[in-house]
Amino acid sequence: MSGFTYLNYKEENHTAFISINRPEVYNALNIDAKMEVIAAIREANKNPAVRSIILTGEGKAFCTGQDLNDRSVQANNGGVDLGHTLQTEWNPLINAIRDSKKIVIAAINGVCAGAGISVAIACDLLISKKEVKFVGAFSKLGLAPDAGSTYTFVRALGYQKTMEFFLLGNPLTSDELHQQGMINSLADNPLEAATEMAKTLNKLSPLTMEMIKKNIKASLDSTFSESMEREMMSQRFLGNSADYKEGLSAFLAKREPQFKGE
Amino acid sequence: MQNILCEYPYQNHKHIALVRLNRPKVLNALSTDLMEELVDCFLKLDKNPEVRVIILTGNERAFAAGADIAQMVTATPIDQINDQRFRTWEMLRLITKPIIAAVNGFALGGGCELAMACDLIIAGEDAKFSQPEIKIGTIPGAGGTQRLTRAIGKSKAMMMVLTGEMIDAKTAYEWGLVAKVTPAQALLQESFELAKIISDRAPVAVRLAKEAVNKSFEAGLKDGMDFERRNFYLTFSSLDQKEGMKAFLEKRNPDYQGN
Repeated sequence: MSGFTYLNYKEENHTAFISINRPEVYNALNIDAKMEVIAAIREANKNPAVRSIILTGEGKAFCTGQDLNDRSVQANNGGVDLGHTLQTEWNPLINAIRDSKKIVIAAINGVCAGAGISVAIACDLLISKKEVKFVGAFSKLGLAPDAGSTYTFVRALGYQKTMEFFLLGNPLTSDELHQQGMINSLADNPLEAATEMAKTLNKLSPLTMEMIKKNIKASLDSTFSESMEREMMSQRFLGNSADYKEGLSAFLAKREPQFKGE
Repeated sequence: MQNILCEYPYQNHKHIALVRLNRPKVLNALSTDLMEELVDCFLKLDKNPEVRVIILTGNERAFAAGADIAQMVTATPIDQINDQRFRTWEMLRLITKPIIAAVNGFALGGGCELAMACDLIIAGEDAKFSQPEIKIGTIPGAGGTQRLTRAIGKSKAMMMVLTGEMIDAKTAYEWGLVAKVTPAQALLQESFELAKIISDRAPVAVRLAKEAVNKSFEAGLKDGMDFERRNFYLTFSSLDQKEGMKAFLEKRNPDYQGN
């Protein structure tokens, strides 16, 4: 698959690999690059042969957020409407990852900064190199954190830690985030480790993955009884699926299930 | 191709019918033909004494994405008047049986209005609602300014109607536009579960209850209360009421005949 300028895209063994390819600017994203990531995620979601997605970056960085050379974010005399950039570029990108029916694994090969940390944390599973820096660069620019990072960080780190991170601007390392549960595992070669993880995921029922992702995500914004209600409805649906029948008979026959997503 | 598909009995349930909007290539745009077929189908189901609940749905991508713009782009006011489209919309109000709108994907413009013309809306998590007419230089014409305002209040309705922007299922739920949000794939099953419950209730009472709730949109409180009370009295002339109360006292499930 080609047609992308700012990223590399391939589909291999039921996994779509999306690699941001602007190493000369540490994988900062201009508007076209953002649109390409969105398009790549859609592409992967469209192909029924693809069951998982890996998002990574070429070179030394994973993603360093907004490309500040983009004219649309440069402040002129009257100021600039960064809200528009968020509304039309960053938020759709974050939502594309969050709404992806297929699980997105981030293979964090290097530094994440600004909205780049939001891109990383929006993914469902994170595998990172050790000692990778996560830089909340906003306060030093005279801005406040965006692209969903206030939501994700405070839920994972708690209030005071999050305040410190975004106010003082001292980077957190992947090791610290691993301890906090925001990164699943550390690996010398995160892409390889992510590929291994994807292999395991690809054997699961796509319906199962989709439901688990949706329901866990939704439970962050739900009461206990709403969550139970949603679980009930999903299980009612899955109980009628061919994949459940297959899972059950494979379990009883002590063999590997072959899920079809039906 | 048929613009709508009717499955009755739905899932072998003799009291439940499923009606699907079936113009997938145009996101179920509501052409005049489609609306005529829909009303025709509803009237037939309404007449069939076995049918107790109707579920109306679209497909995964769209419930219905509004009126057929291609049909309207060069239309004059007289064309719009001569087109009997709105007569079919009026006829939706004649259906006496409960209609559940099961909404996945887009319910835009006429699609949102059609969902609101049903008795209650259940939405899949990915559903999106809007009245986008303002974006193409017109305004809602089938209840979008009236039913929406009654459902979610003036300020929110103004925001939707004046901006044309979409709201998602969760927001629609919080604003009271939809009764329940389900995982997208579970939508039909959950609508069916709800339809089963309603179809287990006394059909005469269901009909009178629907009438009374709808009356609250038309009448002041005093007239509405009077109407409700008359319908309440009326239930006591039904065998279903006798059966319901007897079954309750005998601690068994009632067996309603709809008379």
